[in-house]
Amino acid sequence: MSEKWSLHIEVQRQKGKEQPHFDRFDLEISPEATVLDAVEMIWAFKDRSLCFGHACHHSTCGACGMRVNGVEKLTCITLISEVTQNGGTLRLQPLRNLPVISDLVVDLTPLYHRMAEVKHPSVHPVEENEGVASQQIAQAGKSNNPYTRLADCIECGLCISVCPAAMTSPAYIGPAVLAGAQLAVVMDEHVCAIVDTQNGVWRCHSAYECSEVCPSHVQPAQRIMQLRRHLLSQRIRRFFGLQSLHQRKQ
Amino acid sequence: MDKPKAVIIGAGFTGCATAHDLALRGFDVTVVERGPIANGTSGRTHGLLHSGGRYAVDDQESAVECIEENLLLRGLVAECLEQNGGLFVALDESDLEYARRWVQSCERCNIPVEQVDVKQALAWEPNLTSKILAAYTVPDATFDPLRLALTFAATAQTNGARFRLFTEVEGLIERNGAIRGVRCQERTTGKSSELYADCVINATGAWAGKIAQMAGDATIVVKPTPGVMVAYDQRLCNRVINRLNEPGDGDIIVPQRRMVVIGTTSFEVDEVDYIPVFEDQVQMMRECAIQLIPAVAATRQRGAFMAARPLIGSSASGRSIARTFKCFDHQETHGIGGLVTITGGKATTLRAMAEKTADTVCAKLGITAPCQTREYPLRSYREFRGSDAYQ
Amino acid sequence: MNRIFQKPGNAIQWFDPRGRQLGYLAFILNRITGMGLALYLLLHLIMLGKLAQGPQAYNSFIETVHHPVFIFGELLVIFAALIHGLNGLRIILTSFGIGVEKHKPLFTVLMIAALVSGVYFAARMIAR
Repeated sequence: MSEKWSLHIEVQRQKGKEQPHFDRFDLEISPEATVLDAVEMIWAFKDRSLCFGHACHHSTCGACGMRVNGVEKLTCITLISEVTQNGGTLRLQPLRNLPVISDLVVDLTPLYHRMAEVKHPSVHPVEENEGVASQQIAQAGKSNNPYTRLADCIECGLCISVCPAAMTSPAYIGPAVLAGAQLAVVMDEHVCAIVDTQNGVWRCHSAYECSEVCPSHVQPAQRIMQLRRHLLSQRIRRFFGLQSLHQRKQ
Repeated sequence: MDKPKAVIIGAGFTGCATAHDLALRGFDVTVVERGPIANGTSGRTHGLLHSGGRYAVDDQESAVECIEENLLLRGLVAECLEQNGGLFVALDESDLEYARRWVQSCERCNIPVEQVDVKQALAWEPNLTSKILAAYTVPDATFDPLRLALTFAATAQTNGARFRLFTEVEGLIERNGAIRGVRCQERTTGKSSELYADCVINATGAWAGKIAQMAGDATIVVKPTPGVMVAYDQRLCNRVINRLNEPGDGDIIVPQRRMVVIGTTSFEVDEVDYIPVFEDQVQMMRECAIQLIPAVAATRQRGAFMAARPLIGSSASGRSIARTFKCFDHQETHGIGGLVTITGGKATTLRAMAEKTADTVCAKLGITAPCQTREYPLRSYREFRGSDAYQ
Repeated sequence: MNRIFQKPGNAIQWFDPRGRQLGYLAFILNRITGMGLALYLLLHLIMLGKLAQGPQAYNSFIETVHHPVFIFGELLVIFAALIHGLNGLRIILTSFGIGVEKHKPLFTVLMIAALVSGVYFAARMIAR
């Protein structure tokens, strides 16, 4: 427990309109501490002007996403020992493809607004195998499942930062939002109008990297593919003069 | 007529809720916060919307506050709540002993408690230890801390309140024995600025003593009392599981998303800007969690974190200090005008804390405006506008 | 208000594989082979343009492309076409919701197929 690693931490800094640059801090820290702990220590003991995003420190709020040695991580659950070794260097940068406020903080509220537009539910029923036995759900009646939980997606923006399509087309609504649409309870015309466009589900280039960095089991890439399947089947139905699926549901 | 101006220091639960309350009462509100929303104690809570059961025996004032606010918030912030309820479970003779007093106390505090068959409890929560001797349901719930604060902030912002995040208060502006504003520095640019107000509200929780000292008032003592919480990587229960006994270490397990979070410990510190997570406490939490939910033993740890409760100082220590909140008018405590401090309390009572604070501020400024936050519908947390909040 | 809008990255960043997984490798491969094939298409059209200049011009052009460098180039085109085509097949399948959960093994299998058939074509070309 008392073991300490000495690390060199390079932090990307940017205040106001100045050019981004790196500041280097040397830090003694336990390998079992998190990357966010390291950042908070730099702020507390070395440089009070360092800006970084954080709130819950246990992966439920999604505020502390950063690029750690070039890879998107939710820093509150990323242990130092997972990303470097004793004497190693950690390079911390803000997420890409979102507006930077300063240093390591990006503004996630544009993402929140998009999630609201596609009506991603922030709370939904608990599924089977999540601690609720199927017979319990059956007892309560599927429609009246008394177990609800907060959604998987914590709107952290890691998937948007890693996405190569988002990198070159800022208008692309991004993996989190498309996954949010796929999870929306009603895929109405309003949601379809956002998703079924060039900057929606068809912009994805199948790099699957969003699912690789997602810290919260959302699997955005897989959901984008399910969404494509849904939209394609609707188009095929329309072509043959059949009713679309969501009209039928109503 | 110009609106009365209020500056709130701190955008945690209390600060955001107070901004909402004062904006509704016609104030021109500015919230200054040195970091992002809810980056201190508020963000790092357990996420438990208390039924009040935990406090029913020893701290009935807190228990009553909790159940009242709990039932109110269910309707107001449904968007960031898991409303699955909670169970209090007894594991041994001493728990059963405590249960009798506890049930009576809950009745007195109007906390709806119902005993359920042990078999029923185990059917609901199959991962719960089969050793339970008794189980009671309570209306606990789980909340998302950042989103709860953002809900109040978004509503306040919609009603005209301004948020200035990453803006650190460096000093208070004093004129003729009264606080008239704050001097602050924008951490994103390094620029300094001054904000004037008819009333400054110190909503900095565990840091409230420091701000009070800036005003020269050392009478307010806040004892930052951290506790550790540990998150495990699987949703092992759907209800909040409470150990049915005196409040103690590691006696509450809260489900959240695909996790369960166990907490907590209690010790005192002086410095709260950085509190390390102690490995022995994490280990202790794991052992406590295994007692209630044995499957924790086989579950990967996802995170461990520390948060400092802002307990209002007295000679008592730790858990025996009441968990209720207090609002101080510094005119009364130290003869300083224009400054109000709100501290203590807990997440569940954020709205009530804001109401009390706004009442105090209104009384101070001779303003009559009723509190509307009990019924005023809140906006979605997703409506918070970062473009207006980052300076 | 102080928000620094990050400039969109230039496409060169697409080709940075550091810290990335298999799906991203597929993405990079598809960009490279796609651009290679587009370049080839251009050369191919120029070659066809020779036809318009009469049989002599065409025949002398064909003489030059028997040079080993061009043979090697043709091999590259074959490999690029196989990789791009089969990878494209994977993207079409997954876009119809087929094999989404198995996109990595699907990629591996298709790339092995591309390699095997590429080697087969190469052997035939060299044997000729």
